[in-house]
Amino acid sequence: MSTIAPQFRFSRFVGSLFDIIFWILLLFSLIGLPIVFIILFYIKMPLVNHQLLTPYLAMTWMADPSRTLPIIKTLLHTTFFHVVAFPGFGFAALLAAATIFIERKFLAKIQLRVGPLYCGKVEGILQLMGDGLKLISKEIIIPAKADKPIFWVGPLLFLGTAAAFVSLIPVAPGWVVANPSVGLLAVFATIGFFPIITVLTAWAANNKWTFIGGLRALHQMIAFEIPLILSLLSIVILTGTLNLSQIVESQQHYWWIIFAPISAIVFFICIIAELERVPFDLPEAESEIVAGWLTEFSGMMYGLIQLGTYLKLYAFAGLFTVLFLGGWNGPSVWPPLSPDLITNGITIGPITAKIAGLPLFDQEMLNGTLWFVIKTVGVILVILLPRGVFPRIRIDMLLHTGWYKLIGLAFINIFIALGLLYAGVLGPGGLIQ
Amino acid sequence: MTTPLPPGIQLEKVDDRIMTLNVGPQHPGSGHMRLIIKVDGDYIVSCDPDPGYVHRGEEKMAEYRNYVQNIPHLERPVIHDSCNILYPYCLAVEELLGIEVPERAKYIRVIASELNRCVYTLYWLAIYGIFLGHSTMFMWPAGDRELFIDLLEAMSGARVTHAYLVPGGIRNDLPANFEERCLRQVDYFEKRLKEYQAIFYKNPLLISRTEGTGILSRTDAIRLGTTGSVLRASGVDFDLRKKEPYDVYENLDFETVVRKEGDSYARSYIPYLEMFESCRIIKDAIRKMPKSGSVRTKLKPNPKGGNDEVYKRVESGRGSLGYYIVSNNRPEPYRVKISVGSFRNLICMPYLLKGELLGNMPSVYWGLNYWPVEADR
Amino acid sequence: MGSETEKDEQPSETAAISEDAESVSKDETKKSHEEQGIDFSPDSSVHPKPIPEFEKSISDKIASKFGSKINVDYVRSSRIRISTKKEDILDVAFFIRDELGYDHAESVSGVDYPDSKEIEVVYHLGSYTDDKLATHVLTLATRVPREEIPNPGKDSTRMTSLREVFYSVEFHERECFEMFGVYFEGHPDNRRLLLPEDWADIPPFRKDFKIKGR
Repeated sequence: MSTIAPQFRFSRFVGSLFDIIFWILLLFSLIGLPIVFIILFYIKMPLVNHQLLTPYLAMTWMADPSRTLPIIKTLLHTTFFHVVAFPGFGFAALLAAATIFIERKFLAKIQLRVGPLYCGKVEGILQLMGDGLKLISKEIIIPAKADKPIFWVGPLLFLGTAAAFVSLIPVAPGWVVANPSVGLLAVFATIGFFPIITVLTAWAANNKWTFIGGLRALHQMIAFEIPLILSLLSIVILTGTLNLSQIVESQQHYWWIIFAPISAIVFFICIIAELERVPFDLPEAESEIVAGWLTEFSGMMYGLIQLGTYLKLYAFAGLFTVLFLGGWNGPSVWPPLSPDLITNGITIGPITAKIAGLPLFDQEMLNGTLWFVIKTVGVILVILLPRGVFPRIRIDMLLHTGWYKLIGLAFINIFIALGLLYAGVLGPGGLIQ
Repeated sequence: MTTPLPPGIQLEKVDDRIMTLNVGPQHPGSGHMRLIIKVDGDYIVSCDPDPGYVHRGEEKMAEYRNYVQNIPHLERPVIHDSCNILYPYCLAVEELLGIEVPERAKYIRVIASELNRCVYTLYWLAIYGIFLGHSTMFMWPAGDRELFIDLLEAMSGARVTHAYLVPGGIRNDLPANFEERCLRQVDYFEKRLKEYQAIFYKNPLLISRTEGTGILSRTDAIRLGTTGSVLRASGVDFDLRKKEPYDVYENLDFETVVRKEGDSYARSYIPYLEMFESCRIIKDAIRKMPKSGSVRTKLKPNPKGGNDEVYKRVESGRGSLGYYIVSNNRPEPYRVKISVGSFRNLICMPYLLKGELLGNMPSVYWGLNYWPVEADR
Repeated sequence: MGSETEKDEQPSETAAISEDAESVSKDETKKSHEEQGIDFSPDSSVHPKPIPEFEKSISDKIASKFGSKINVDYVRSSRIRISTKKEDILDVAFFIRDELGYDHAESVSGVDYPDSKEIEVVYHLGSYTDDKLATHVLTLATRVPREEIPNPGKDSTRMTSLREVFYSVEFHERECFEMFGVYFEGHPDNRRLLLPEDWADIPPFRKDFKIKGR
C-alpha cells in the first residue's frame, strides 16, 4: 500500500479549491485594487494609439485581441524588453543553453556515450534546467574567513559584466540593446572587467586553490586580451568604424573573414582562452588546482557564474559572427509575409477572430535573426567541441602562445589590411565596394 | 602576545615566497594519498608524499588466516589487477607446500593475469587522460575495459574481485566457447588501441606537454630501485616475464617494451604499448594451451607450510610484485610481506617533482603508475 | 631458469633460522597440539636438491670475504639468504653492492620473534645492471634486540641504516620503523609513513599487537 496521499478526501479537495478562490478574491480586492489606484495616481502611463494606457483600459483590451496587439508592439520596443528578453539576456541565455545541450550530446557521441537521456523524456532535453534547479536548491556555503562582501558580490558582478557584453551585440537590423558609436571599444572595456572580478573573488575566498586559479586566470586573460584587441584592429582599419551595426552593414557582399583570415584565427583562439575552455581551461584545471577560482562557490553562486559563462560564450560567438561572418547578412530565406496578413489578420480555426497586424516582426528582422542564430550556434559549437579532442595545456605554453605567437600573427594581418587599404582595393572608394 | 601552544603542536615557520599546498586526500588530482607540496610561484620546491590513508594491514591480517582463507583479502589492494596480485602468492604457497600445477591451469593463469593487466592499464589510462584534461581519453578506456571485465566475469564469475587464482591452479575451468569469444574481443580491442594512439598519444598538445618533463635518468632509475613501466621508460630492459619467467611465460611469444627517454611521455606510452604485447600473449596462450585436462591440484585441508621461507615475484601492471612468506609449521603464515611496485615507485615522487611546474604535477604523478591503495596495503 | 618446480630444502640450514625462535615454547606448543589432535608435521616433502653452481659461487665469494661474520642460510636456485650481525651489515652491504653488482633493494621486511626477543630485518636485494643477476634475489637478514615495552626510536631496537648503500631502501625502512619500531641510525628521514600521526599504540606488526576478535 503506497499511495501518494493516503489521507485524500475528494470533498476536502473541492473545499480547498473554494478556499483558494475566496482568498484570491479577498486579497485582490483588499490589496490589488488599492495598488491600481496608487499606480494611476502616481505613475505616468504611456500613450498607446493616442490613448492613455490605464490599468482599466488594459483590462478591457485583454478581452479584445486586436486591441491588445498595440500594447505588445509597444512593449517589444521598450528598453526593458530589449534588455530582458529579445536581443539581450533571455535570448542569449536560451541560445547558449540550447547550444550547450547540443554540445553535450555531440561530446557524448564522440566519447561513445549517450549523454543526457532521461530528464525531459525526449533525449534529456531538460537536463540543463534540472541542473539549474539543483543548483538553486543547494545550500550556499561561505568560507569562514572569506572577505564576505566581495565574495557575495563576485558572481553578481560576473553575471552583470557578461550581460553588459551581451547588450552590445546586434542581432538584427535595429535590434540591439545598446548601440554606441564606439561599440568595439565598449566591448574591449567590458572584457577588461573579467580579470578584475576573477582576481577579486579568488582573493576574497581566502583559499590557496582559488588564489592560484585567480592568478592563472589573470595571467591568461591579460596575455590573450592584447592579441584579441590587435586582431580586431584590422577590421576597424578596413571598415573605418567602431560601431558594430555599421561593421555588419559593411559586410553585405563579402565577409571580413575572407580578407582577414589570420585575424579570425587569432581572435578565435583568444575567444577560447578568454572563455577558459579546453584546451585553455587552466584556471579551472581540476587535477592541479581543484576547481581553480571557482573552488569555494556553491549553490546558486556557482550557478550565477555558470550563467555568466554561458552569456559570455554567446557574446563572444556573436561578436565573432558580427565581425567576421557578416552578422545578420544572408540570403533571404524567410518566406515573405503577405500584405493580406498584415492588414486583415489571420483567421484562427473555427473561432473567426480576425487579428490585424499580427506578425509582430517584419521579414527583414526575422531573416536577419535566423542567419545570426545559425552562424552563432555554429561558432559556439566550434568553440566547444575541442573539448573532446584536446588535453589541457600548461601555463608556460599558454603564455608563450599568447605573448609571442598570437601578437605576431595579429600584426601580420594588420599590415595586410593596411596594404589592401592603401592599394585601393578595399575601404572608402576602393575597387570592391 | 604569544599565547602558549598546546603540547604537541608546533607552528611551522612560513617563508614569504613559499606556499605549502596539501594535494590530497580530498583533491581531484591525488587519489587516496597526500602530497605536501611547497611551491615558489608556479614551481615546486619540494614534495613530501604522505601515503597511508587506505592502509588496511593486509600483511597483519594474513598472519591470522590460513593459506586458503588469505586468497580473497590479499587481492583487495588492487581490485583492478587482482589476478596479478594473487599470482606471486599462489606461486609462493605452491613452493612452500610443494604442489605441482597442471599444465592447462598454468596457461589459463597467464591468460587471466594478462586480461587483468589490460583491465588495470585501461583504468590507469582513463585516469591519466582526465588528469591531463582529456575527457575523451577518460571515456574510451573506461568503456573498453568492459570487454575484458566481461571475459573475466565469464571465467571467474566476478567482475572485479575474481579470486580466480588459487594455490594449486585456478578455481574453475574456462566456460564453453571461451576461446573464440576471447580471440574476437582481443582482435577488436587491438583495433581500438590504434584509435587511442590517433587521439591521444599523437596529439601535439599532449606531446608538447609531457615530453621532456620529469626526466628520470637510467642511473637514477636503478639507484632509486624503481620498477615496472617507470624503469623500462628509463631504458632498463627489465621485465620479470622475460627475466625470471614464471609458469609458461618462457613458451610464449612477446617482447619487452623499452624506451630510452625517461620522461613523462615515455612513462605514459609504455603501459599502452604493453597492452599490445598482452594481446599477443593472450592469443599465443590460447593457441598453445592444452585443450583439456585438470586445472587444479587440490590442497590438503588446512595445509601447513614447513619451517621455511620463500620470496616469489611476478610482473604486475605496476611493476615487480613480490611476496615474502615466512612459515613456521602452522596453517597460517608466520609473516607475509608484500613488496609492491607502487610503494617502490613512491620514492621517485619527491625526486621527480622537485623543480617542476605545478602544471606538470598530474602527468608526473600519475605517470609513475602509482596506485595508492596498493602502496598502502 | 624455471624455478617454480624446484624444491631444495636444506633441513639443517632452514632449521637454523627459526631454531632459536621456536626453542623456548616448542615443547609446550607441541604438547598442546597433540592434545588437540593437530598434525604438526609439515606437508611439503623434504628432499634435498643439488645446490646450483652460480648461486653457490656468489655465496662463496661472500663467505670467503667475511668468514665467520656471516652465515649462509640457504642457497637455492636464484635465491640466496645470508644473515649477519647488525654491526657488520654495513660492510656486507657495501661488499654486495660494489663487488657482486646488486644495485637496489626490492623490499625491507621485519619479522618479529617475540620468543627469542629479537626482530629480524630482511633486505631483498636485486640487480638491474648485471644481466646474469637479473633473476636473482639476495636476501640479507640481520637481527636486532626487541624490547618488551617498545618506545620506537628511543630504545635499543636500532640498527644502521643501509640508505647510503642502497638509496632505494629509504621508504621501506621508514615503513619498517613505524611497523616494528626498528630505528635506523643514519637514516635522514625517520618519520611515520603509513600510520596516522596520532597513532599511540605499539608498532602494529609486532606479534603482541593483537587484532580484535582474532
